[in-house]
Amino acid sequence: MMKPKTADRIATIVFWLLGGITVGVLLFIILQIFGRGLLTALNPKFLLGKPEAMKEGGGIFPMIISSLYLTGLTLLIALPVSLGAAIYLAEYSREGRVTGAIRFCVDSLAGLPSIVFGIFGMTLFVIYFGWGYSLIAGAFTCAILNLPTLMRSSEESIRSVPGTYREASFSLGATRWTTVRQVVLPSATPGILAGTMLTIGRILGESAAIVYTAGLFVRKAPTSPMDTAAPLASYIWYAQTEALIPDFRRVVDGGAAFLLLLVLLMNFLARRLARYYQRKKLAGGADG
Amino acid sequence: MKGSNGAGGRERVIRFALFAMASISIFSVLLILLFIFKESLPAIRSQGFTLLTTNWSPNVSDPSAGSYGMLAFLNGTILTTLGGMALGAPLGVGTAVFIIQIAPERIEGILRRGIEMLAGIPSVIIGWFGLTLLVPYIARVTGTSGYGILAASIVLAVMVLPTVVVLSMEALKSLPHELEEASLAMGATRWQTIRHALLPAARRGILVAVILGMGRAIGETMAVQMVVGNARQLAFSLTERTSTLTSRIITDMGESTGVFRSALFAQGLVLLLLVMLLILGVKLVSRDKKVK
Repeated sequence: MMKPKTADRIATIVFWLLGGITVGVLLFIILQIFGRGLLTALNPKFLLGKPEAMKEGGGIFPMIISSLYLTGLTLLIALPVSLGAAIYLAEYSREGRVTGAIRFCVDSLAGLPSIVFGIFGMTLFVIYFGWGYSLIAGAFTCAILNLPTLMRSSEESIRSVPGTYREASFSLGATRWTTVRQVVLPSATPGILAGTMLTIGRILGESAAIVYTAGLFVRKAPTSPMDTAAPLASYIWYAQTEALIPDFRRVVDGGAAFLLLLVLLMNFLARRLARYYQRKKLAGGADG
Repeated sequence: MKGSNGAGGRERVIRFALFAMASISIFSVLLILLFIFKESLPAIRSQGFTLLTTNWSPNVSDPSAGSYGMLAFLNGTILTTLGGMALGAPLGVGTAVFIIQIAPERIEGILRRGIEMLAGIPSVIIGWFGLTLLVPYIARVTGTSGYGILAASIVLAVMVLPTVVVLSMEALKSLPHELEEASLAMGATRWQTIRHALLPAARRGILVAVILGMGRAIGETMAVQMVVGNARQLAFSLTERTSTLTSRIITDMGESTGVFRSALFAQGLVLLLLVMLLILGVKLVSRDKKVK
């Protein structure tokens, strides 16, 4: 048998190796994607250009607009609902059968593959409601898909507001709703915003739920919510799958680098907000 | 301290409105189940047990004349998921142990941030990375097309890594400090402590991490579709082109009608049931923990 000391040394080396592989994979992917596409991605002609179907030199302007439009619409639908649900779960509900059912369904929604949301959204919104491939169909699909993430992060932020805040408000005669609106929500806002930023990153990167609800190729930027759209992530998939454009590699490389830039920016903002929130909470704790 | 009657009424209305928003999650799950099931009925009715064979020969012009066995793709889903977990689970759990137990503070911070970043990378980007780098590399080394279960497994391993690492870290962090201290005090080395005290104590949490990672792997669509080769055949070799349930759905949905389309929904239904089963498994594993 191996001496415990030797085994410990070997194990330590192996764990360093595993950690190293994880960071290495991440760095490799990010550097590859940026290395190949960043120059194209930051070229205004590419960013502001129209996509081409059969010839070279196309841009991704309508796709960027589609992505931003879809993200905005999705949040418009998902934020109020998830915030309301989070307030209910954190401030109003008692743990019981109904609350248990809600939590189980939130967990289930969080675990379902996005392709399932995609074909569900296609049936309900695109076909059954007759909205066709449209931003609004994609936004509703994406809203349901992201409900669990938004709900959980909002609930967590609301729950972490100190109970003494509420007691102080109640003792002044405020009702529950007034307390929630004027005391709890303002303190929970940075945390809710951090969750929202992460969700924006997820919406921007979503593709499997989008291609058969919002669409995957357009020539012009969508204007109405009923318009067909081509969010960047869908278009990247479409461009490489169909490979109709002669310079699809350049388009996909550039699109991927730009998308990654957007997503990492959102994650960065989310982390900044979360840290700010943490610091504020610590300061608040010192006061009390 | 109660408000006037008017305020109490308003409170009740608000309470109800908030409850309604919370129950949207229940309605969504029910609607999804209902629609996916309803859409797969025509295929279940007309195809019956054919759906569970490997005979996939769709007929685009006359969908009801085709045959829609999904077994080859179910096989693809299972093999790629197992492959992804075989690579991703040890790497993920190991990374979690490294972060919690071994890494110096600065490196720990870098790793945590790295895991967050990795979780945020869209699947099309990881797929594109796999398609342009991994597949050609496998092709060069093995002398095959490079597409197939191996490429998909590696891509999936990367994609489940954040889930496995984050949840394993939580499991390890929730252990009482005394456990580690007692083991070290008795003269155990760090590795003995990790192996005989920490990992066994955290095994339920780690199991949950692996199961949830599996759920992600089963449902991953775009990245897998880009590297698995999308051949409509049963494959057991690591470097043979095949399809998964998800890759078949996303590839064929656009051009399918009638029974063909319905058969794709039936695949979605199988996917949904598989994932629901995993979620139930997680519930069971974590419920036992509370009883103990």
